[in-house]
Amino acid sequence: MSKKLLVPITFLLVLSMAIGCKPAAKEPIKIAVQGPITGKWAYEGEGFVKCVRLLAEEINEKGGLLGGRMIEIIEADDKGEPSDSSLVAAKMVDEGVVAVVGSYSSTCTEPASAIYNEANILQITPSSTATVLTTKGYKQFFRTCFLDDRQGLFVAEKFKDWGIKKVFFLHDNSTYAKGLAEWAKKYHEERGGEALIDAITPGETDYTPMLTKIKGEAPDAIYFTGYHPDGGLLVKQARELGLMPDILFTAGNACNNPEFIEIAGKDAAEGVLVSTEPLPHDLPYPEAKEFIKKFEAKYGEPPASIWWVMAADAFNVIIEAIKATNSTDTDKMAKYLHEEFKNYPGITGPIIGFDEKGDRLGTIHKWYVIRNGEFVPYEK
Amino acid sequence: MEFLLQQAINGITIGAFYALIALGYTMVYGILRLINFAHGDLFMVGSYLGYTLVIALIISGLIPNLLVALLIIFLMAMGAVALMGALLERVAYRPLRRAGRLAPVVSALGASIFLENAVMLIYGPRYHVYPKGILPDIHWSIGGAYVTLVQLATLAVSILLMGGLYFFVQKTRLGTAIRAVALDHDTARLMGIDVNRIITLVFLLGPALGAAGGIMVGLYYGRISFVLGWGYGLKAFVAAILGGIGNIPGAMVGGFLLGIFETLAAGYIPGGGAWKDAIAFLLLILILILRPTGLLGERVVEKI
Repeated sequence: MSKKLLVPITFLLVLSMAIGCKPAAKEPIKIAVQGPITGKWAYEGEGFVKCVRLLAEEINEKGGLLGGRMIEIIEADDKGEPSDSSLVAAKMVDEGVVAVVGSYSSTCTEPASAIYNEANILQITPSSTATVLTTKGYKQFFRTCFLDDRQGLFVAEKFKDWGIKKVFFLHDNSTYAKGLAEWAKKYHEERGGEALIDAITPGETDYTPMLTKIKGEAPDAIYFTGYHPDGGLLVKQARELGLMPDILFTAGNACNNPEFIEIAGKDAAEGVLVSTEPLPHDLPYPEAKEFIKKFEAKYGEPPASIWWVMAADAFNVIIEAIKATNSTDTDKMAKYLHEEFKNYPGITGPIIGFDEKGDRLGTIHKWYVIRNGEFVPYEK
Repeated sequence: MEFLLQQAINGITIGAFYALIALGYTMVYGILRLINFAHGDLFMVGSYLGYTLVIALIISGLIPNLLVALLIIFLMAMGAVALMGALLERVAYRPLRRAGRLAPVVSALGASIFLENAVMLIYGPRYHVYPKGILPDIHWSIGGAYVTLVQLATLAVSILLMGGLYFFVQKTRLGTAIRAVALDHDTARLMGIDVNRIITLVFLLGPALGAAGGIMVGLYYGRISFVLGWGYGLKAFVAAILGGIGNIPGAMVGGFLLGIFETLAAGYIPGGGAWKDAIAFLLLILILILRPTGLLGERVVEKI
């Protein structure tokens, strides 16, 4: 290139940048939605996209952000595979997205989070609950879902409120169930409660030895953290051995399944409590009711899974960060979310804030009680 | 005390199922020196056939008398599974009888996988639940321990079946033939015994008892799944070894003992629920170190 040309080219470049600043041609703010849009969990990935698109369109109709910049949603399909997750994350970095909602499963979120961290792009997962994700010291990684220990905390606090002192925590030795049982036990003991813990072997058909032992210990409540096929059988046999109604039978979110009631039997399951994330239509907040109404109007059906709504919240948090810092600078937004972002009225309930690791504070878990063979919200 | 009594009842109930299934393993081993890994799955098939028949005969109201209906269900399912067992022997084991010991074991594992997958494809992979309320809900509290009518009936039927089998093997001509074949195929043949027919008979009897166990597991516990045979099969196999494999009373003793060990481990050791199987199997290892042939197994004198 000759030096003669350099001056006019530079001039043209400067001119074009100046033109680019005009309101009509403002550069869009690119936000990626990463999730399993196809593949075995496509149902969840599609839900993420639906929720986020709905909110983005609303903002764009009102004139966008940062003085008229439109929001552009970019779909990043990782198919639920960790290998695809890395590839699609790298692609999003090339696209120049300012923030990412996603991914769905912890196994996909983990490799992607390393790439987004290196490129310094804000990432908020709506649904990956693995503890390890927020232990890497990433400053720009957050989640709007809750870790399993939050469920344990919720359960322990409710037990305290209800005056339940002695609790038998029962798990099935799986990583998830054991973790939840141990968290709940820890929080229960911290609140002055008495706790016992043991495990059953999942898939067996006779749990009467364990249940008889529990009966001998005479706790106020049992909290079973394993999965519903074993939970159902435990309830049935506990009822037969006469543990109820003296002992309150409670279970974790892996028992939130109609098969739990079917296996236990309608009569045996009556009055059993299950702690779980609420279904979208059971969210009591006005923000939730409004969002669900809009969602139904656009897509003809309500959001089916709590994780979809968590994705909507993740997107809203990003928007709040952009608005509050008046920029799309990752460091500024992350600092804002860590330090100043407090008590935001989320769709999945008030977002009290994020801790230093990026985990959401508080909890949204609820108790459901089984009445006449149905799970109904339990307000106490 | 009331808890010890309750745990004893729990252990005996669990043990009765182990014993009933263990008989199938021990009889086949006694006669063929083969471990029929598909036996647990035949038990599972019995439980699924029972499920189908309960719905077809009792829930539909086809047979209003409960006892008659149950009798028909037991006979039909036991008959069907017995035929399946005999067919299995004919197809999967007989062609391999002279092929060394490893080939039939592999064939047995194949048959086990085949049965599990067949049931999964026919019935679907989810859990099935026997309809509630078909059996009368009668129960007693004995010294604080809780016993149900169904539990007692299950135990009674198990003991009746086991006793019947013992009588059949010890006191009848066919039973004598079974014992003769177990001792020595060739000599039995010289005595005019049709060895193949006796083997078929064993493959009819064991699976029939397994099927009865399967239906009772369904009626008593309610929940069945296509992998049911795996857990029960393994435990029953262990029970058979514990009692001395090849020995019919040994299988019964082994079954009850294993059930009681497990229950005591889960019930009386703090945190023992998680370690229950490990403790029960540790005990098995200790017994086998002291008595390698099992509790009632006899050291057979090598004939030269």
